[in-house]
Amino acid sequence: MGDFFKRQRIVVLAIMLLVGTLLLYSYNLRHKGATTLFERTVLTLTTPLQTGVDVFTDEIGLLWNNYLWLVDARRQNLQLTEQNRRLQGELVALAEVRLENQRLRRLLDFVDEIERPALPARVVAEDISSWARTIVIDKGLDAGLREGLPVVVAEGVVGRIIKTAPNSARVLLVADASSAVASLIQRTRTRGVARGLGDHLSLDYASREDSLLIGDLLVTSGMGGIFPKGLVIGRVVQADQGKFGLFQKVEIAPSADFSRLEEVLVLLEPEP
Amino acid sequence: MTRLIVYFTVGLVFMLLQTTLLPRLLPDALRPNLLLILILYLGLSESFGRALLLSLVFGLLQDSFSSTALGLYGVVNLVIFLQVRLLVTRLSAESPALLLLLVAAGTLVQSVLLGFCLTLFAEAGSVLQILLPALPGQLLANLLAAAVLLGMLLLLRPQFGARPGMAGLPHQSRHHGS
Repeated sequence: MGDFFKRQRIVVLAIMLLVGTLLLYSYNLRHKGATTLFERTVLTLTTPLQTGVDVFTDEIGLLWNNYLWLVDARRQNLQLTEQNRRLQGELVALAEVRLENQRLRRLLDFVDEIERPALPARVVAEDISSWARTIVIDKGLDAGLREGLPVVVAEGVVGRIIKTAPNSARVLLVADASSAVASLIQRTRTRGVARGLGDHLSLDYASREDSLLIGDLLVTSGMGGIFPKGLVIGRVVQADQGKFGLFQKVEIAPSADFSRLEEVLVLLEPEP
Repeated sequence: MTRLIVYFTVGLVFMLLQTTLLPRLLPDALRPNLLLILILYLGLSESFGRALLLSLVFGLLQDSFSSTALGLYGVVNLVIFLQVRLLVTRLSAESPALLLLLVAAGTLVQSVLLGFCLTLFAEAGSVLQILLPALPGQLLANLLAAAVLLGMLLLLRPQFGARPGMAGLPHQSRHHGS
């Protein structure tokens, strides 16, 4: 028996590791709401790196947009002076600041509309896999965030926090396959569950008896206790009532553009 | 030990690229899975113990960088690694074509395993509707990325020195650890 284990120790080790990892996965599936120590440590250690790369790529992008792609123009216009180039660069940088101001102003206007305190955060990283839809923001436990808090932009719902670390948090976007948001069609009050399908959503359990129109607005219903009632999720782009069954097939285009998220708002607990 | 640290650093750089730079440059469906390529490479080139440990660690790190429950990528990476090890004794690991073929097969196997685990255990049924349409793009992106990385490896070979058994790099005498 001992000889067998000695000879097959690599196979035994591999099988033990595989079973161990499966058990770990199974355990974590049942405790999905909590952030493990390992995940918290990884988030804490890597967020500064991710923020660094994010800022660096921002700078490179600015440099590229402001200077490098003007190289040909500069060659054709030798009379341009160093001062003109610098001013040009500053103007573009100012335009970037103005755009950022506009985005933040819209977010602030949005804060006035909702009755909960909100914390602005910057998006620093995205999901490592191409099929899952999560983002990392630069605020975490130290700023009072916790798992389950909703995240929004002025255009609508972004998602909810699923993992937290002291200075960062991971947000599950509503477009992720594991996301489900209790929602209703604003015009008809048809209730359903908005499920993520990657780049769009489906509205499950929408009654077949209600006639939905393209462009109908889908908002959060407030059920489920995560998202406050009335936040915009998206608009109906396709509705097929079908010929039988209880529910119809509804496709939703999200209002928020998840590929261009830069600043988001985390809705904190209502003040008592 | 040095190689372990080098591979870990490379994996970490790949993760940072996949979470920060690549999402800005490429659409979701065309983002290569650099870590999968690294794990396949480790399966072909490295000793069993070292590659097993790194595959597991990279898997758990991937879970931490994703929405998945901790352990999913750990399981998937281990299964892929073990499959590569079963094959490697029968094939010439030094063939560049083999590495590319394994990347293609690895992409398919990973999608199947992820779809299987998520559908069966995590009840994320609609994940298949995301995984399957994205598969051709993912396959193409991974193959292109593997070809580029292989080209870089060939270019860098004189810098760090070649040793027998390195995946995708032909060598006169073939021998790899097990």
